Amino acid sequence: MKEIEKFTFEQGVAIEVKGMDLYYGNFQALKKIEMTMPEKQVTAMIGPSGCGKSTLLKSLNRMNDLVEGCRVEGSIKIGGVEIYEKNTDLTMLRKNVGMVFQRPNPFAMSVYDNIAYGPRTFGIKKRAELDEIVETSLKNAAMWEELKDRLHKSALSLSGGQQQRLCIARALAVQPQILLMDEPTSALDPISTGKIEELCGELKKSVTIVMVTHNMQQAARISDKTAFFLLGEMVEMGDTERIFSMPKDKRTEDYITGRFG
Amino acid sequence: MKAKAKKTTLEGAAKWTFAVCAAFSVFAVFAIVFFILYRSIPAFQKIGVFEFLFGETWAPHWEDKVLEGKTEYASIFGVSNIVQTSLIVTAGAAVLGGLIGVFTAVFTAYYCPKKLKGFFEQTVNLLSGIPSIIVGFFGVTVLVPIVEKLSPQGEGMGMLSAVLVLAIMITPTIASLSKNSLEAVPKEYLEGALGLGATKDQAVFSVLLPAAKSGIFSSLILGIGRAVGETMAVSFVIGGASGKAPDSFFKPVGSLTTTIAGELGEASFGSVHLSALTAIGFILLLFVLAINLVLTLVKRGGNREKTGWFAKLFRRKKLKETNASGKHSYRRGGAVQTALRFVSYFFAALVVFTILYLIVDIVVKGLPYISAHFLFGATKGANVTISAGLVTTLMVVGMTLLISLPLGIGGAIYLNEYAKKDSKFVKVVRLFIDTLSGVPSIVFGLFGMIFFCQICALGYSVLAGSFTMVLIVLPTIIRSTEESLKEVPQSVREGALALGASKVRTIFTVVLPSAIPGIITSIVLSVGRIVGESAALIYTSGAVVEMPTGYLSQGSTLSVFMYYFQCEGLHMNEMYATATVLIAIVLALNILIALLDRAFKKKTNGKDKKKV
Ligand SMILES: Nc1ncnc2c1ncn2[C@@H]1O[C@H](COP(=O)(O)OP(=O)(O)OP(=O)(O)O)[C@@H](O)[C@H]1O
Ligand SMILES: [Mg+2]
Repeated sequence: MKEIEKFTFEQGVAIEVKGMDLYYGNFQALKKIEMTMPEKQVTAMIGPSGCGKSTLLKSLNRMNDLVEGCRVEGSIKIGGVEIYEKNTDLTMLRKNVGMVFQRPNPFAMSVYDNIAYGPRTFGIKKRAELDEIVETSLKNAAMWEELKDRLHKSALSLSGGQQQRLCIARALAVQPQILLMDEPTSALDPISTGKIEELCGELKKSVTIVMVTHNMQQAARISDKTAFFLLGEMVEMGDTERIFSMPKDKRTEDYITGRFG
Repeated sequence: MKAKAKKTTLEGAAKWTFAVCAAFSVFAVFAIVFFILYRSIPAFQKIGVFEFLFGETWAPHWEDKVLEGKTEYASIFGVSNIVQTSLIVTAGAAVLGGLIGVFTAVFTAYYCPKKLKGFFEQTVNLLSGIPSIIVGFFGVTVLVPIVEKLSPQGEGMGMLSAVLVLAIMITPTIASLSKNSLEAVPKEYLEGALGLGATKDQAVFSVLLPAAKSGIFSSLILGIGRAVGETMAVSFVIGGASGKAPDSFFKPVGSLTTTIAGELGEASFGSVHLSALTAIGFILLLFVLAINLVLTLVKRGGNREKTGWFAKLFRRKKLKETNASGKHSYRRGGAVQTALRFVSYFFAALVVFTILYLIVDIVVKGLPYISAHFLFGATKGANVTISAGLVTTLMVVGMTLLISLPLGIGGAIYLNEYAKKDSKFVKVVRLFIDTLSGVPSIVFGLFGMIFFCQICALGYSVLAGSFTMVLIVLPTIIRSTEESLKEVPQSVREGALALGASKVRTIFTVVLPSAIPGIITSIVLSVGRIVGESAALIYTSGAVVEMPTGYLSQGSTLSVFMYYFQCEGLHMNEMYATATVLIAIVLALNILIALLDRAFKKKTNGKDKKKV
């Protein structure tokens, strides 16, 4: 089997969205989105409920394909490659652009098998190699110490926070270049949330992270860039510090000062 | 690029394979209808459709006279009396079984003490799992003698016994389905009624029962479908006198199913008699299709809530005139409803009594004859053992599952994982799966004999029997697999796909493993169905006592052994013993299902708790 290629990022740009519209049937959920997400940084997407954050995130690794009647127009390029071209290799795309969901979704298998699932999907069968991947992934997700004695217990027996970090480890096990996270901490307690935030800080040394969050402090704490969405439009995007200290758009200001949404 | 192209074809091939599995039920129904109609045509041609349907004489043994030119086919092949018998017996069973079933359901849902509820439900379940041949045996050994005493002419065989036996067969279906729809009535209804000062009895019988009427009605129709198609239980007690006018409840007659079952063995190949029997099968099939249609309409009516012609039947006239005087007297009522509660106690007790009596009576008489030799020894002359029955049962179970599991699981995967929800294709397939599951087993037997034994030239063989059983268990497997696929959370699929796993890989590694509980349950149910089946097997795998030498030789399952013994009429003790073995198997399967259910529930509950 041939090795799965990676995207090559040029000039520090990982993802480039241009004039992108998205429709669910007749309903237009995203309008003329323009944004650039830099390599090895954390980009946060904020905005009130229903404004299309998850929708945009899911279109970045084409998980939207699962939704019947969903249509994308315009351009999304990752490492300069148009991902909505007809002959896009979905396997390659999703291997390189991993995803962590709002609710932890471990498979009904052991901790070990959960993490090994991705590598096995891509033809890695040797026990030693898998062992190594599992260990590294768990270490990267900062839970090796917690779990090293429970590798063969069911993943469903972990706590919610552990499950979510396991899902991160599972995503890391295929060595993605980009990690999409949709409100990864919204179902978790403050301590687990803290751990995941810390983890993001570590991960961005090697991985580009795009994260949706409802928690403004979280965005301020961990992200480098922030994009604000409203009613399917990207209102404003910029350095996180700048967005939170002197937003250009009135609507952004209203939102972050809690005047609406 | 090349590797990718290969992969897409693999994905495409998988999708098509699943689609074909799903469409299999459609092919099967078409094949059944086609071949049965096709083989009926000679009868319709030679007898005449009108003469066949409305003729009153059924005298197949006079076929020779026709050949000698002494009479005509039209004067000896008429099914009018047979059809009437079926209608009367079915109506009687529907009334009796319906009453008992609905009251039992009310008891289970509202009055059964919590501690007894599990036991009670299990008992009703057990009754529905008892093979029809055993109910028939119970009928002939216990009910017929009772009916004999009631009968003016001292004749026990006939329509009354048939009604009783059928009522036993359909009560559990009606009871458990009605119970489900009673339990689906929102709690608020009960609270609302009680809050107005109604007694619990009033609330149950005047608010909750009417609220569940559409579900109860469906269960009645399903019960009727079963009654029309029930074969072996009835054939034991109806007297086997096909063609006699059904003008008394106490005289031997014959119904559609029992006529086929009773005469298929003696009708020679190519005779008009055989074709006429097939035509009876076709009539049965039409009945079943009609019942299915009504059921679909009822369900649609129920969903649309008070629209459609069906709901109109139930709509009562609105207020006649308002009581203008303004003087109302509020009286304490509810005596009737309280009486109805006692009726429900009575019927519930009757159900438990019947099932216990049936089991105890058979086991007590059968146990002494069970020995290692009887179970596993070889048959020698008149000293019959059932080892061949055990072996054949295992063979049929194995082959049937081997074919029906991949087919059924594949079909369920297509319906749940690939097809667009509510697409035409899915609707059509569902309709045909429902139809298939309503086809009476004797019709499957008829089809199996025509198609597998004759056209495919397998002859009477264990293989032909197994193929026939595949058609019977397929709907169960598809449905319960689909149920459990539905329960697999979408997030799990997304998790695997987001890692780059292909759809096929996602299905096989993540989705299907989570559906295993449903699949195991469907296997156990199918085994129960196969073990209990007789009508579909007698004329496909044969009724013999010899040990089968392979899949191409004849062989009889335990249930067919019962039939064989009954025909021989010499082996009363062996019958009790075989029935005991069958009951033990059914009991074991029921317990297994209950245990599995509990185990799986615990697991999923645990999972849910963790998530919250
Ligand atoms: N599968 C779908 N089919 C049709 N419409 C959808 C679908 N998913 C989302 N939408 C609609 O698209 C819009 C954007 O939804 P999206 O889930 O992206 O919002 P969000 O910003 O992530 O909201 P939240 O913060 O609540 O998660 C909403 O109006 C929603 O109703
Ligand atoms: Mg969202």
